[in-house]
Amino acid sequence: MSIFSKIKSGLTISNKDKALTVLLIVMSTIMLIVTVFSLVYFRVQVTNLNTVENTEYSEYDRHYALITDDLEKSFWDSVYAGTKEEGDRSGAYVERLGKNLAVTYTKNELMDIAIDSHVDGIILEADESEETTQLIKRATENGIPVVTVLSDCANSDRKSYVGVSNYNLGGEYGKQIMKLLGEENQKILILMNVNTEDSAQNIIFTAIQETLEKAGADMSHIDIDTAAISDDGAFGAEESIRDIFMDSENLPDIMICLNELNTTSAYQAVVDYNKVGIINIIGYYSSDTILKAIDRNVIQATISVDTAQMGRYCVQALDEYIATGHVSEYFSVDISQITMENVNDYLTEEDADESKDKEN
Amino acid sequence: MKVKIKKTNGRSNLTIQSKLIFVFIFTSIVIFIVNLFVYVNLNQMISKIEEIYASNVNLNDLTEALSDVQVSMTDYLNTKSSDAIEQYYRSEQDYANLLNDLNVTTTNSDMKLMEKGIKNMSDTYLTITNETVQSKRGRNVEKYKNSYEEASTLFSYINTYIYSLNNEQFKYNSGNYEVLLSSMRYSEVISLSILLAVALCNTMIIILMTRSITNPLKELAKIANEVAGGRLDVELLKIKSNDEVGVVAKAFNKMILSIREYIEQIRVRMEMESAMKEKELMMATHLKDAQLKYLQAQINPHFLFNTLNAGAQLAMMEDAERTYVYIQNMADFFRYNVKKNNDSVTLREEVELIDSYIYILNVRFSGDIHFEKKINQELLDIKMPSMILQPIVENSVNYGIRNIDWEGLITLSVYEEKDKICVSIKDNGAGMTAEKIQQIMAKEVQQSETADHSNGVGLENVINRLQMFFNDEDIFTIQSEGENKGSEVIIRLPKSKKEVS
Repeated sequence: MSIFSKIKSGLTISNKDKALTVLLIVMSTIMLIVTVFSLVYFRVQVTNLNTVENTEYSEYDRHYALITDDLEKSFWDSVYAGTKEEGDRSGAYVERLGKNLAVTYTKNELMDIAIDSHVDGIILEADESEETTQLIKRATENGIPVVTVLSDCANSDRKSYVGVSNYNLGGEYGKQIMKLLGEENQKILILMNVNTEDSAQNIIFTAIQETLEKAGADMSHIDIDTAAISDDGAFGAEESIRDIFMDSENLPDIMICLNELNTTSAYQAVVDYNKVGIINIIGYYSSDTILKAIDRNVIQATISVDTAQMGRYCVQALDEYIATGHVSEYFSVDISQITMENVNDYLTEEDADESKDKEN
Repeated sequence: MKVKIKKTNGRSNLTIQSKLIFVFIFTSIVIFIVNLFVYVNLNQMISKIEEIYASNVNLNDLTEALSDVQVSMTDYLNTKSSDAIEQYYRSEQDYANLLNDLNVTTTNSDMKLMEKGIKNMSDTYLTITNETVQSKRGRNVEKYKNSYEEASTLFSYINTYIYSLNNEQFKYNSGNYEVLLSSMRYSEVISLSILLAVALCNTMIIILMTRSITNPLKELAKIANEVAGGRLDVELLKIKSNDEVGVVAKAFNKMILSIREYIEQIRVRMEMESAMKEKELMMATHLKDAQLKYLQAQINPHFLFNTLNAGAQLAMMEDAERTYVYIQNMADFFRYNVKKNNDSVTLREEVELIDSYIYILNVRFSGDIHFEKKINQELLDIKMPSMILQPIVENSVNYGIRNIDWEGLITLSVYEEKDKICVSIKDNGAGMTAEKIQQIMAKEVQQSETADHSNGVGLENVINRLQMFFNDEDIFTIQSEGENKGSEVIIRLPKSKKEVS
């Protein structure tokens, strides 16, 4: 009201009518502006909503399925990231089959699904079982090339194998063991997978032995043993490892883990049973948990696999086969050691933060 | 929304009615538009919410169709009835139709990929079910059993896929639903703020418009009050609009102007009337003056005196001494009348005039009037107005002693009483009642009663002049003891006047 009386008092009478008209127009304009502004604002909101609803997606030429044991999450996440990266480059979409399904299927069931879904290629964490061989055969019959990754199915129709050279891997483990060996009798326990009938573990075992002998270790003091770890069922591995720790009479001095899950479980068991410094662990893969364990000197060393490279090679192998009908039978993925000395290169703060975010 | 207002001479031509209608329609339209906007938005929202779960409904249809296929196939395998095979083909067709809507391209959208998986698996599944049915017909028992196993496995896979996709979509849709809900809230806030802003602006517009209507009314009322209080010289109203108030204001201004004009006219008329009255009075005065002049002109005193003198000389030559004296007295009397009409005279001169008057009357009335003088000669030099005593004596003669049976006597006395000189004219005639005296003293006696017989000077005149000359109300008194007991007029002149002379 005070604005009006002010405006009024500032006006001469003859101008009053004019001022009234002007004010009327001003008011109308304000209303118009408010309405239009709100309208635009609202439209923007609704448009945002639409973009959420119709999430943008792009089409790809080929559809590959990545079938793995989902238990070793971090490792395969990393491999999957590698495949996606390479797939985006080459026009292939890699689907982590079974990820969004309500039922947890086995790898073999997932193979069936992949074949019946007519994917263009399958990346399989295989094993040497007959069933797997048959499934790979069926896929090949349906015109779907299969590439095995990390663990091979050598006698099957798979087109290529992407993995770590098990001999090299064994060599690396051997080098690490040498660093840890002391004067006294040493008991070395290699945690092996009970279900895998493949020769890979044997090769690793042999390679470790050879490396130790070559390095001139006193083999009479060294007792290398294997423990069969069952990864059948959800929590088999963890239970098996705990069983080892329960048997306090025969605790090993050095424990060698051949996969991520075993490494993490062993690490946790060492902490829980208060055996830090008594049992040395040589692990596999460089998940954040493992890196932190190295940083705290609970795990002495780990063998890191270049998972991104692994993923890239898988997609490249499939692409190459589809394009040419031929592909190299074996792709070797780089491995490296992570110890106290170089762990900080991997364990940067940003990494730690990122991994935390991922976990969340 | 621009508002055009036609203007003449800088004033709006809108009437109050059209102003009010304009304000009402304008604000209504604005509110209506805003409401429309809000409702359209709400409707959009609601239809979007409806759309959201449509995909879930579609998937449920798909599941049902799939189970129909499986059930009818199993049914056929069990019974081999034609009903079952019919049912199977129908459901197979339905399912195949539903499959056509699914995505078949490879994309990086997980849900689209699942659709593709469902589509491809379903195609395989349908192929296998067909094979199964064919084998059943062909009674290839082993094959149809195997195919049935395969189909069942695929059926479970597909079901899982659909179920999972349904779940994913539900999750996703729920997310969308959340977003929608929040945008609904946005919409609420926006609608509310628009409504508020519009209501505020409308209120302001209404206030402004009504002000433009009521302000001139207030002004009009103020000025009307002033006029009602008698102030006609108020400033005229300024007319700002041609609306009803403007019309009233114009009429009011006209009224004020008319009132002023009427008042002016009345004033002029009254002035004219009073001027005319004055004129009339003047004319009456002039008439009297003229009459007087006329009379005076008729009686040329010199001519009269010369004539009378000639008469007196003639009487003397013929030795008619009484005639001579008579004429001489007559001449004295008239000379005095002419000469001293307006001047003050001495009491002596007045007394001498009475002598002449009585002589003349006695000649006229054969000496019937007896006249006595008791005069202190020393007092006769006092100044007084002329023509005072003669009218009184005339009065005494005419009304006092004329019609009486006994011998009339008039006595003139001049004597001293304290600081006054008293002049008394007393008769023994008819006398007067107290009422009559009262009337004479109050000057209520009509002039006409006396004018005919006298020389024109009445008692009222005498009393007035005396009172004015001496500035004394009690100078003239009349005494009478009643009818037939005579009367006396006493004039008490203040002595001081003598010294003035």
